[in-house]
Amino acid sequence: MGKAETESLIGKRIPKMDAPDKASGKTRYIDDVNVPGQLIGRILRSSRVHARIKSIDTAAARALPGVHAVLTAADVPDQRAIGVSKDNLPFKGDVVRSLRDEIAAVAAETEEVAAAALKLIRVEYEDLPLLTDPLEALKPGATLIHPEREPVALKHPEALRPWYDPDNCQTGNIAMSFDYTQGDVARGEAESDAVVEDSFRLHYVTHCCMGVSGVIADFQSNGNLLLYSNTQVPFLHRREFAEVLGIDPGRIRIIQPPIGGGFGSKLDIYPFEPIAVFLARAARRPVKLIFTREEEFIASPTRQPVLIRLRSGVKKDGTLTFRSVTTLHDNGAYTSWGATTPFVMMQTFSSLYRVPHCDYHTVAVYTNNPYAGSFRGYGNLQATFAVEQHMDRLAEAIGMAPLALRLANAQNPGEVTPQGMHFKTCGLKECLSTVAERSGFEAKFRANRDNQRMPGTLKRGIGMASMLHVGGGAKIYPSDGCGTILKLDDFAHVTLITGASEIGQGSETVLSQLVCEELGLPMSSITVVNNDTDITPWDVGVHASRTTFIAGNSAIGAAKKAREKIFAAAAKKFDLPAEAFALRGGLLVRADTGETLIDLAKFLRSMHFSEKAELVMTSFYYEPPSHHQDKEFKGDVSAAYAWATQACEIELDTTSGMVKLLKVTGAHDVGRVLNRLGIEGQIEGGIVMGQGYALTEDLMVKDGRIRNPGFRDYKLVTAPEIPEMDISFIETMDGEGPQGAKGVGEAPAICMAAAVANAIANATGVRITELPFTPENVYRALAAARAQAGQRAA
Amino acid sequence: MPQSKAGRVAFEPLLLGLRRIPELHGVARDGDSLRIGALVTMTELMESALVRAHCPILVEAADQFASDQVRNVATIGGNVCNASPAGDTLVPLLALDAEVELVAKPNGLLTGRRVPIGEFFKGPGKTLRARHEIVAALRVPIGVPGRFMRFFKLGSRPALDISAISIGVCARRDAGVLSEVRVAFGAVAPVPLRGRATEAALEGRQLTEAVIETAAAAARDEVHPIDDFRASAWYRREMVHNMLKKVLADAT
Ligand SMILES: Cc1cc2nc3c(=O)[nH]c(=O)nc-3n(C[C@H](O)[C@H](O)[C@H](O)COP(=O)(O)OP(=O)(O)OC[C@H]3O[C@@H](n4cnc5c(N)ncnc54)[C@H](O)[C@@H]3O)c2cc1C
Repeated sequence: MGKAETESLIGKRIPKMDAPDKASGKTRYIDDVNVPGQLIGRILRSSRVHARIKSIDTAAARALPGVHAVLTAADVPDQRAIGVSKDNLPFKGDVVRSLRDEIAAVAAETEEVAAAALKLIRVEYEDLPLLTDPLEALKPGATLIHPEREPVALKHPEALRPWYDPDNCQTGNIAMSFDYTQGDVARGEAESDAVVEDSFRLHYVTHCCMGVSGVIADFQSNGNLLLYSNTQVPFLHRREFAEVLGIDPGRIRIIQPPIGGGFGSKLDIYPFEPIAVFLARAARRPVKLIFTREEEFIASPTRQPVLIRLRSGVKKDGTLTFRSVTTLHDNGAYTSWGATTPFVMMQTFSSLYRVPHCDYHTVAVYTNNPYAGSFRGYGNLQATFAVEQHMDRLAEAIGMAPLALRLANAQNPGEVTPQGMHFKTCGLKECLSTVAERSGFEAKFRANRDNQRMPGTLKRGIGMASMLHVGGGAKIYPSDGCGTILKLDDFAHVTLITGASEIGQGSETVLSQLVCEELGLPMSSITVVNNDTDITPWDVGVHASRTTFIAGNSAIGAAKKAREKIFAAAAKKFDLPAEAFALRGGLLVRADTGETLIDLAKFLRSMHFSEKAELVMTSFYYEPPSHHQDKEFKGDVSAAYAWATQACEIELDTTSGMVKLLKVTGAHDVGRVLNRLGIEGQIEGGIVMGQGYALTEDLMVKDGRIRNPGFRDYKLVTAPEIPEMDISFIETMDGEGPQGAKGVGEAPAICMAAAVANAIANATGVRITELPFTPENVYRALAAARAQAGQRAA
Repeated sequence: MPQSKAGRVAFEPLLLGLRRIPELHGVARDGDSLRIGALVTMTELMESALVRAHCPILVEAADQFASDQVRNVATIGGNVCNASPAGDTLVPLLALDAEVELVAKPNGLLTGRRVPIGEFFKGPGKTLRARHEIVAALRVPIGVPGRFMRFFKLGSRPALDISAISIGVCARRDAGVLSEVRVAFGAVAPVPLRGRATEAALEGRQLTEAVIETAAAAARDEVHPIDDFRASAWYRREMVHNMLKKVLADAT
């Protein structure tokens, strides 16, 4: 026999395993799933933004033929509040606090009957004062949006200082607060040669998953509940559902059909999910509830809108001295994950660059607006927008080049920051210099600056921004673990049963790759099972760029166990030590010579017939031990951190304010590239998402109503706008990462808005601190700057 | 259909399919006019040799219209009947001084009339068309060859966008002197608007810098846009000024 193929799968371009089905229309999303006997569920949402419900009359709807259940809060006395702060009852019975509020629901034979039934429900309202600006909601005497809630005790009332006198404002509308301090900001300020301060305003955008939200609730004859769900955290949801419904979590099974996009939107449980279950319970039939696209815009979460006050200082030699931050978050009417984004923003403020002194105070304030959930980047786009614009402003203030200032303050590998984050690997400096070199940053930056005052209405600009994000899981739950079951059959076919959900990010491909790499098998010899809580082992869910890192390590653990078993059996058969073997190309070979010993399938068959073969492996991976964060938020939040720098080149038309994104040069510290095709897709997609955040996307909320709930007026980036991209990978080989890799899912979206802002300033000399950079907003800012300059000259 | 699904227009239980009426299809020369059938799609406009030769401004408008998928089904008659102030073919049709050909068959007898396009639009979604009439065609006078024509659309992205403003210009140019100038604006009033003051500022003149500035200023003053979520009235006026300047400067 000849020598086995030895090529590694790591770093190869491997097409996503689900791509052929998705491309050919074979994938069956939740909307394609139909359960025998199912009814269609629809929700009646409030037509008022803030109002008392005086009465709900469902008699006509109940009488409509084909209607099997009509429910309101009164019909579900056992309902319990859901969400991060348990302030959101699925059915609102007394007060509606936002336009999306769920008042009633129907289950009917068909969509048409369900829609007709909704129209027959009469609701009488009595309007309450509208609070759609968090600053209004803090004014003394402002109406309380949740009078039933205990007010949050503010540890550091100075969080409110930029906006209000803390002793004289409505703190009863504060939903959540965070405080963080390191060093002594006053001392930092005293040591500064230059100090800059700005307010930044970040707007609403939403996920725009191609697959809308949906659920099918199906009670089994034994009383167990089967849910078909788009969730990205099935195991946590199982627990939440059990709490909401008051049933044993063990009696809930969640099956996830292929998910048409998550991006964080499916991290929380939302009212439509328990409502579908209540309907199924009442109608004694399975109920399928799928959003319309308009509903998806109105009733799914947004990215967290924030006001940021940032004050930063620097010494003449370019050493950063302090950063003082307050942020005000519009919580919307209920609390979902958006309110907790300061937890991530904090890391960027304190540790993206070396800052000796930093304080950060935040409040999230209830309003009658839509509420924010988790969204790719989790607050980091907002924080980076402010910090990276300040890096440019500080550089300008001391006459230093923006690149030099960043390099002078960049973190190094091995550093433990004052927040206690330990950067075991860190490629930030390499990211910075790679991007600078490949984009020709410095020469372009100078040329564009010199060109600002020249005639001509088309201006070029280049701007850069870097980011720091968790890259080795996130310690936000008691466990950040993931389990794997690996089954080897007698034809050397592997079934990988993993807790990690595939939400389009390509995790099943990467996990398969890691297993096949260990077992020397081709990708064609593996099947993945990852979508059924009755089968798959526990996992905390898809979030925080953790799946490749955590689930990858877990899968490798199981594959290694399999390999050990095979080698132990081989040692007996071939009378060689276990270390003498290797697995390559589907064969068992000698590690030293590569000589083929036996076909792996044949060998496995012989093992199957021996006693105690047990070719089912299990493994569970918990994040590696580290210094967990304390109550002051000091400590590690992840086993590894991802880094990136992106430079954006733009062309700006001063006659229209139109900003064209020409090119993005990026360098990402990803630990190691596992699937080159997959990681390129993640980064390109993330860049486009960040581009939309910066330039085109804007969920317009006026008086609590969304004015553009559709793709005609909610402007996603379209194909002709996608810029040229030059992406480099910095491989720092993380010691704990699977094959050295770190998480990358969220990273590519994070820098874009900040880099574009810096490019606009480079092109025009005008700094815009508010998103999005739509033509009108940019044009208005340029006109305001011209008017101001004119006034100064006069 | 999308509009009745969205609840903006009432669903009519009586539906009339126009697809198979041959007289509503195709582009043909009819004496001094080009007759463009109401069912001609944006794609067909772009591909028609007659349209390309005599009214390239319509090709420009069709080219910037939505996306390929929409261009393949959107008809010029539908665009005209839809009567959106931002409708992209309406501005060129105004600049071309087109006529709307309406037909009806009230008592089994086919009747027809022609309405100048400038009189056809009555408000957003409202036209002179009577309930029992259909638009059969658009008639565009064939002017002297070699006229200057330009359509300009400003949106916030290059594809699939509704105009924030649009501009159509059509004029004869003899030795640099403009005549028979017609200027039209979209999305700056309840109906697509003829720019009479702008035309007056250009008629009989050469495109010098001063003339261009005067015309652009006249345009800014004569449009009367509203604030909506696509753009503010202020921005629309600014853009009418700046973009008309650009269109005219490009023509020099
Ligand atoms: C995604 C998208 C993008 C779009 N982008 C643009 C754009 O960039 N620019 C733009 O101008 N428009 C745009 N539109 C609007 C629309 O496509 C156009 O108005 C199109 O021209 C309509 O043509 P239609 O043949 O589909 O008409 P329909 O939608 O079928 O008809 C519109 C109305 O006119 C009536 N009607 C149609 N034909 C006749 C006739 N011959 N006689 C009497 N009544 C008639 C119909 O009954 C209906 O009330 C867009 C629409 C969509 C969905």
